[in-house]
Amino acid sequence: MGLKTAEAYEASLRKMRFNLYLLGEKVENPVDHPIIRPSLNSVKMTYALAHDPAHQDLMTAVSHLTGQRINRFCHLHQSTDDLVKKVKMLRLLGQQTGSCFQRCVGMDAINAVDSVTFEMDRALGTEYHARFLRFLRKVQEEDWTIDGAMTDPKGDRSLPPSRQADPDLYVRVVGKNAQGIVVRGAKAHQTGALNSHWVLVMPTMAMRKEDADYALSFAAPADAPGILYVYGRQSCDTRKLEGTEIDLGNARFGGHEALMIFEDLFVPWENVFMCGEYEYSGLLVERFAGYHRQSYGGCKTGVGDVLIGAAALAAEFNGVAQASHIKDKLIEMIHLNETLYACGIACSAEGHRTASGTYLIHLLLANVCKQNVTRFPYEIARLAEDIAGGLMVTLASEKDLRHPEVGRLLEKYLKGAAAVSVEDRCRILRLVENLTLGTAAVGYRTESMHGAGSPQAQRIMIARQGNLEHKKQLAAAIAGIKR
Amino acid sequence: MTRDGRIGLKFCGGCNPEIDRKVLAEAIQMRLPQPFRLTTEEGDEPWETALLLCGCPTACADRPEIRGAARRWILISGKRVDDEDVSQEKMVERVMTKMEALLRQDR
Repeated sequence: MGLKTAEAYEASLRKMRFNLYLLGEKVENPVDHPIIRPSLNSVKMTYALAHDPAHQDLMTAVSHLTGQRINRFCHLHQSTDDLVKKVKMLRLLGQQTGSCFQRCVGMDAINAVDSVTFEMDRALGTEYHARFLRFLRKVQEEDWTIDGAMTDPKGDRSLPPSRQADPDLYVRVVGKNAQGIVVRGAKAHQTGALNSHWVLVMPTMAMRKEDADYALSFAAPADAPGILYVYGRQSCDTRKLEGTEIDLGNARFGGHEALMIFEDLFVPWENVFMCGEYEYSGLLVERFAGYHRQSYGGCKTGVGDVLIGAAALAAEFNGVAQASHIKDKLIEMIHLNETLYACGIACSAEGHRTASGTYLIHLLLANVCKQNVTRFPYEIARLAEDIAGGLMVTLASEKDLRHPEVGRLLEKYLKGAAAVSVEDRCRILRLVENLTLGTAAVGYRTESMHGAGSPQAQRIMIARQGNLEHKKQLAAAIAGIKR
Repeated sequence: MTRDGRIGLKFCGGCNPEIDRKVLAEAIQMRLPQPFRLTTEEGDEPWETALLLCGCPTACADRPEIRGAARRWILISGKRVDDEDVSQEKMVERVMTKMEALLRQDR
């Protein structure tokens, strides 16, 4: 197959049988559920744009395994050019959806698992890499969306996995036989899990010998018996049940997260890519996190473009576009947003080849990128709220706007610039609300803080990679100090 | 055959190195048996064997036009030798092992 159409993607999800709970009820049809559907539309866009000649250069790549043209989300980076194109693709998708489009996490997972299994096999004589490549060929042939699953619930953070009061607070192997392994535990914050065909599980952190049962990587169908999902709430999510459009801000697109629970899931050996090799769990985490920190230099920039545009339109609709302080705030937003992009591009352009042939980002610069992402979207959001004005959070509902009696009054008293309809003014204010404190704020704000690792995780990596000794030598030489 | 014992040496520009490239080159030079020696001087013909010494994993000097200057290369890129992580203490040893293997092919 190679490149699925958007329609074929949706049809393939309809065949899946997820064990899913949302708002206290079992969901039999997630595809058409009004709370979930916008997130599916965002992933669907990754398929649609791959068929658009105007975006093919970014959205597709030629597989080094098969020579076939495939969706870039299924591709292993074969050059720094591939790494750069990834960031540009993510920016494009952020612009087109104004939300988290969820598919990058699987792309980052396959790239990390590839190079680590190769190096693990070379050092330990294991046979994981060949298995992984067989799995990847299938991913590319079927154009699957993969949920890269890393974060465990972790329980008491002061204790390692094997010393937790409940041993299932980290994903672990509870049984093995000739056919495969049995897995128990959970993965938290699983972005796009219900829009994925398969999950690719990785360990959550560096493990020690006593935690070898937790050094685990495997793939499983996302709807496999033994996986249960509990859908995560988002701010303002039940507005999607009201049957209106304007109040959603972004009615068509969104993101989602879910708690993924493994209830003695059976995984055949052919889909196991790490099982007990604790020495390599830290490397896998480091590489996956590095790729995902690069990702944010693309996707958050694309969503930032939408928010900056919304703020600029809000200024026009409010009649203040020519005010110098408004112009200056928009300049500041652009400066911050492009700084994030620059970091994403830089860590890609400075990437390097790994032993498997797959290219890895520059880890220091990727961590600097993500560290900025933990801050700049918050400032961009603050400035957007500043420009939008207080009406953004005191605005009447769409139902009031359409009401035969009060609607007439709202048309009169919510009027801004003469050439702009009240409805359009409401639409743009709701979009700013959606991105700064509504459903999309999950992706644009808090995910910017904690997704791909919380700020301190990047600071640890920056400390490790910063080469402070070289800087001291430079200073000593300039100062005439002999060391 | 590596003619007259010359082994090519190319450095990256050295903007932000993780390793001291010159110290490393000197240490490798010290370990080379007679008549071999590292040289940065290029002749009309490509070197048979050369060392591409880059200060960080990015290895920005690893470009086709540079690769054309020798028939075969050993790439040092920060604390890596030919895409394998190597601790700084073992760097010279690893390079020498690879170098000796290449030179043995010429005998």
